[in-house]
Order: sequence, then C-alpha cells, then structure tokens
Amino acid sequence: MSIEPITGRYLTVTIDGAHRRIYFEEAGQGRPVLCLHTAGADTRQWRHLMNDAEITASNRLIAFDMPWHGKSLPPEGFETEEYLLTTEAYIETVLAVIDGLGLDRPVLAGCSMGGRIALQLAALHGHKFSGFIAIEASDFQPAWYDIDWFHRPDAHGGEMGAALVSANISPYAPKAERWNTVWMFMQSGPGVFRGDLSFYTKDDSLIPRLPSIDTAATPVHLIVGAYDLTCTPEDAKRTADAIPGATLAVMDELGHFPMSEHPDGFRPFFVEALDKMPTMAAKAA
Amino acid sequence: MIDTFKHIQKSLDDTPHLLRIGRLFSETVLIEVGGDEYYLTFDKGRITSVVEGPSRKTPWRFALRTDAAALEKFWQARPAPGFHDIFGLVKIGRGQIDGDILSLVKNLRFFKEVLGLARAKEELPA
Repeated sequence: MSIEPITGRYLTVTIDGAHRRIYFEEAGQGRPVLCLHTAGADTRQWRHLMNDAEITASNRLIAFDMPWHGKSLPPEGFETEEYLLTTEAYIETVLAVIDGLGLDRPVLAGCSMGGRIALQLAALHGHKFSGFIAIEASDFQPAWYDIDWFHRPDAHGGEMGAALVSANISPYAPKAERWNTVWMFMQSGPGVFRGDLSFYTKDDSLIPRLPSIDTAATPVHLIVGAYDLTCTPEDAKRTADAIPGATLAVMDELGHFPMSEHPDGFRPFFVEALDKMPTMAAKAA
Repeated sequence: MIDTFKHIQKSLDDTPHLLRIGRLFSETVLIEVGGDEYYLTFDKGRITSVVEGPSRKTPWRFALRTDAAALEKFWQARPAPGFHDIFGLVKIGRGQIDGDILSLVKNLRFFKEVLGLARAKEELPA
C-alpha cells in the first residue's frame, strides 16, 4: 500500500466573463513550477515528476487540467458550443490560474501545445514568470493529418486519436507508460483533441513574436525528443534559433510526451532545465 | 517479403486481442514494397489471403507504399526515428498512404499492430 504525495483541489476562476471550475494538483515546496499538459490529455502526464521527492524537495510542482480536460468541466452551455481553443483563451486561462493560486512568478513548463503557449507567454507576459521550459514546443506546424478525423459521430475520436499519437511515442518508452500515455487520449471528451489541435495547427502568431522574448530577464530552455513526428528536433531548433539566448536539448530516445511516456529517460533533461531557471533566492534579489 | 506477410497472417491468428479489436475489419489492403504489390485480405479481423501482384483486378480499401529497406528498419525492435511508425515513414518521405484513409484511421491501432507483428522481439527493459 502506498499513498502518493500529490494533492488535488479545485479552483474556480472567471475566464471570458464566465466561471470555470479548474482541477489542479500539486506536490512539493519551494520554487513554483506550473506544468501544462499536451493537447487531448490532462494533469496525469506530470505525475511521475510530481512524485519525485528529489525534485519536489525544492520545487512546488503545480499542474492543472485545462477546461474541457481531465476533471475540469467544460463551461456552462458547452452542449451547443464547438470547442476550439484559441491563443487568447489559453493565455487568459494560464494567467487566471496563476492569479487564483497566488503564484509569484512561477517557472512555466509546458509540453506540446503547453510548450507553444509557454513561448507565447514568454513573448507577451514574460514579467509574470521567472523562466520557461518549453517541451516539444515550436513556432508552428500545420497538421500532417485531418483534425476532423477526431470528432465524428461514426467513429470513436479518442481511440483514433490515441492510435495517431502513438506515432509520437518512442520505441524506448516502457510498455506500461506508453499505454498509460495513450489512455488519456482514449478518455478525452468528444471534440476536445480536435479543438486543441485547431489552436496548435492553425495559429502561427508566435513566429514574429519569438525574437522579442527577453531571455536575459526570463531564461527559455527547449527540450525535444528525436521520435517526435509532430514537433521534430528540426522544428525545435528553428524555434530556439529565433529566440536570442534560448537553449535547446535533444533527447535521442524520447518522443512527444517525454514526462509521461518515459519518466526515467526524461528526468535528467527536466532536472537540467530546472537548473537553468532562477532560484527563489535569485528571484528575490 | 511474401513470407513475412504470411508470418503476420499466422501471428494474427494467435493474437486474440487483435482479433477482437479488428472484428469489424473486412477489407483488402494493398502493401506496395519497392513497386511489388501484396494484397492482404481481411475478414472480420483475420487475414484470409495474402496474394502477390501485380493485379489490376483486385479492389483495395487503402494502400501503404514503401520500400524494402524502410520496412526492414520498421521491423527492428527499436526502429530509428521516422521508421518507428507508418506515419513516420510518410513524414520522412519513405512511405505513402492513399485510398480510403478514414478506413485506415478508424482501424489505425489494429492495422499498425498487425503490421508490427513482424517486428523483432528484442527484450525491452521494463
């Protein structure tokens, strides 16, 4: 028998004039690190790091389910709404969670669409953070698949999405974690993965903003897996090259969901990234 | 190559979870390897025939076109990036998928795991 140190609670914030009940988890103490999940998934992707006593000894890891995802409900009236995430709504949500939880300039760590929005926040609201860890994150890629596949009445979008994203998981990933990773996609609500992908594959507004990111004030570190077909190492390098002072690490044996698909393989890269971020003492100085 | 597809046919018969997942899949799939055609006909999740082409008379639902060297890498226990998935082959320019792609996507896990039945069985760390 074991009980994990992760605790989960609910936060209600106002986004775009309406209430959102948001589920968040946290573990640890010290420097706040806000963690953003990928499209079509939820907070569970971060559970291995949140259960890592060495990391949480000096870092307070916090992760939340975006509205429509995991245990966060969709907004009232969702039954007639087409879910299409936008950069603006995503930014507003992240900032509302930071305000709601009273976080003082957290490190922001995001994967995939979470990494994309981390870079948007670095460009537009950098002063509200102390640094950025952008995982499987890039300026922009159009879809190499038809996102409408994942929301149609004659097929199970979750099962199709899971089968598709498995292409982004490394053959080095332990079998159990590979399947735990795709399970989240299988559970995703109807149209949610599609709505996330709409944001991820159609909004290219980050490209002209990258050179304006001030890495002297807030460091930016990118991490990318060689088995990621969606954000390839070439995509991440192009993105890092466009941000003056950004750094990049390539993980040869990992894919698009590194913290979830292969926790042991990802850990050293995340620790290296945390080491590049300002400490609490440096922030206070 | 035909022997590999016949090995897949036999392995599928011995893989109950794939027979269950593919129980609604009854289609013919064309796999083209370096220009050589192989027609895999499925009936309720089982491969009932593997026929070598060329054939202009065999209707198929979707096709995967690649080359022998790419498939050899695909079937390694730990393929190199891009060779680890059929969509990876497409992404790196070593594969093409055409026909009724929605039929493939609806049965994507099944088809990928069936094709993976020829993958080398290196013991991976837990």
